[in-house]
Amino acid sequence: MSQIWSIGGGKGGTGKSFIAGNLGILLAKEGYKTLLIDVDFGAANLHTIIGISKPERSISDFLNRRLATLDETVLSTPIPNLYLISGAMNNLDIANLTHQQKIKLLRNIARLSYDYILLDIGAGTSFNTIDYFMIADSGIFVTTPEPTSIENVYRFIRSAYFRKIHHVLKAHDFRTLADEAERQNGNATVSNPEILLHVIKELDPEKGDIVEKALRTLDFKLILNQVRKQDNPNIGELICKIIERHLALKMSFIGNLSFDDHVHNSVCKKLPFVDLYPYTRTALDLRECCKNHLSINKDKTSVQYLTA
Amino acid sequence: MKLYQEKNNYELLEIHPDVAPTEIRHAYKILFDLYQDESIATYSFFSEKERKEILSSLEKAYLTLIDPESRKLYDRDLVGIGGLEEERTYSNHKKNPSSIYDFKKTHVQGLVTIRDPEELKYRASQNPVIQNILDQDTITGRDIKKIRTELKITLEEIAEATKVRIEMLRIIEEDNQELFLPMVYMTGFLKSYARYLQLDEVVILDGFIKYIDKGK
Repeated sequence: MSQIWSIGGGKGGTGKSFIAGNLGILLAKEGYKTLLIDVDFGAANLHTIIGISKPERSISDFLNRRLATLDETVLSTPIPNLYLISGAMNNLDIANLTHQQKIKLLRNIARLSYDYILLDIGAGTSFNTIDYFMIADSGIFVTTPEPTSIENVYRFIRSAYFRKIHHVLKAHDFRTLADEAERQNGNATVSNPEILLHVIKELDPEKGDIVEKALRTLDFKLILNQVRKQDNPNIGELICKIIERHLALKMSFIGNLSFDDHVHNSVCKKLPFVDLYPYTRTALDLRECCKNHLSINKDKTSVQYLTA
Repeated sequence: MKLYQEKNNYELLEIHPDVAPTEIRHAYKILFDLYQDESIATYSFFSEKERKEILSSLEKAYLTLIDPESRKLYDRDLVGIGGLEEERTYSNHKKNPSSIYDFKKTHVQGLVTIRDPEELKYRASQNPVIQNILDQDTITGRDIKKIRTELKITLEEIAEATKVRIEMLRIIEEDNQELFLPMVYMTGFLKSYARYLQLDEVVILDGFIKYIDKGK
C-alpha cells in the first residue's frame, strides 16, 4: 500500500507545486519509489518544476478513456525512482471533473503501488479540491507568513472539517441529523465547528461518536514557506496551536522554508531546485522538512478515506 | 473534548494548578500575543466579537490567578466543585528556597539567634556537667553533644552560624569515624563548633584528637 501525501493550502502562489516537486525528488533520492500526481487541473505545472517541459501523456488521457488504466499515464522523469502523472489538459472544459470522474480517479489513485504518492492540489476550496486533499494519509498545508495565505488555510481546514462531517453523516444515512445540527448552528464561523459536533452529539450520542472518531483520523501537517529574515519563525507553531485548541484537530508543524531568489531562477531555468542549488538554505530546509515528515509519519498505518 | 467556554482558568492559560506567579505571567503574555488584533497567526480565524471574548476571558483568568488572595479563593471554589484536587493547589505546593547548608532538612525560620558570648561563657562555667567534660583527658563527640544540649543550643543553629554542613556536625557528634573526612577538615569543623559555643577551642581539640588517636 502506498503512502499518500497531499500538498495543498487554499491560496495560489504559496509554493505548493514547488514543494511537492522537490519533496518528490528528495524522496526518490532516498531510494523510495515515488509518484507525483498533478491534480491541479486547469493550472497544472508540476512537470515544469521537475524539468519536463512537454509531458507526452496526462491524466486527461485516462479520463477520456484514450488510455485504459491510470498506470499507463505514468511518465518517467530524469530522476531515477521518480515518476509523474501530469495534470496538463488539452481539453479546456475538463478542468471541472464530474463527480463520477472524480470518484473514478480517486479509486484508481488509491490502487497504485508506490512507496510514496504525492498529490499536488490546486488552489481554492471547491469540493473537488478538498476530496483530493482528504484522500491522503497525510495532508500537508503550505502557507506563507502573510495574512491572506493564513486566512485561506483556515478556510480550507474549515471546509475540510465540514466536508468530513457531511461525508460521515451521509454515509450513515442520517442526513436529517446533519440538517438539524446545521439549523441550530446556522451562522457557524470558522472558530466554532466544535459546537456543530457538540450539537450532533447531543442529538444522537452514538452517531456523534462516529463523527468525532472520523474527525480524529484527520491528520494535518503545516509547512511555512517563503519565510524571510524579518518574519516571526514561530508563526507555524502558533497556527498549529490555534487549530488544535479551537478545532480539536491534529495538526503538526513540519518546518519553515526560507525565502530564496534562487527558487525563481530554478523555475525560470525549468530545472529542479534541489539539484540546481543543493547547498542553499532553502534546499537544506527542504531536506529537513522531508526528514521531519518521514519521522512523524513513520508508524502511521494507511487510513483510507474512500472505504468509509 | 471540552468546549472552550467550559474551561477553567488554569486550562484557559494552559498551566498546571500549582505553578508560581511568574509562570502565570509568562503564559498570559504568550496567549495575549497570540490572540491580540495584530497577531498574524489568528488572522481571520475569529470574528471581532469572539476575539474580544477570548481576550477578556484570558484577562479575567490572569487577574484572578495573579493575585494570591483571589487565587486562593478561586482554588477553593474549584476544589469545591471537584475541578481540582486539594493537594494540587499552589498553596499546598509552595516551594521555598532551601538553605544550601542544609538542603535535606526544611529551613527553620529565625534560627540564628543573636547570642551574648559572655552569657554563654557564664552558663558553661556554672554548669558542673560541662566542667566535668572539659576536665577529662579525652573528649568524644558524644561529650561535645552533651555540652551542646546542656547549653540548649540546636545543631541547626550551629550549622547556620558556622556554615558547616549539618551532616558533618552530626558525624562528629555521633563519633561516626568511618564517615570522617581527613582530620584536617574535621578539626576545622570542630574548631568553628567550639568557638560558637564560646568554649576553649584548644582544650576541645586536644581532647578530641587524643580520643581519636587512642582509638587507632
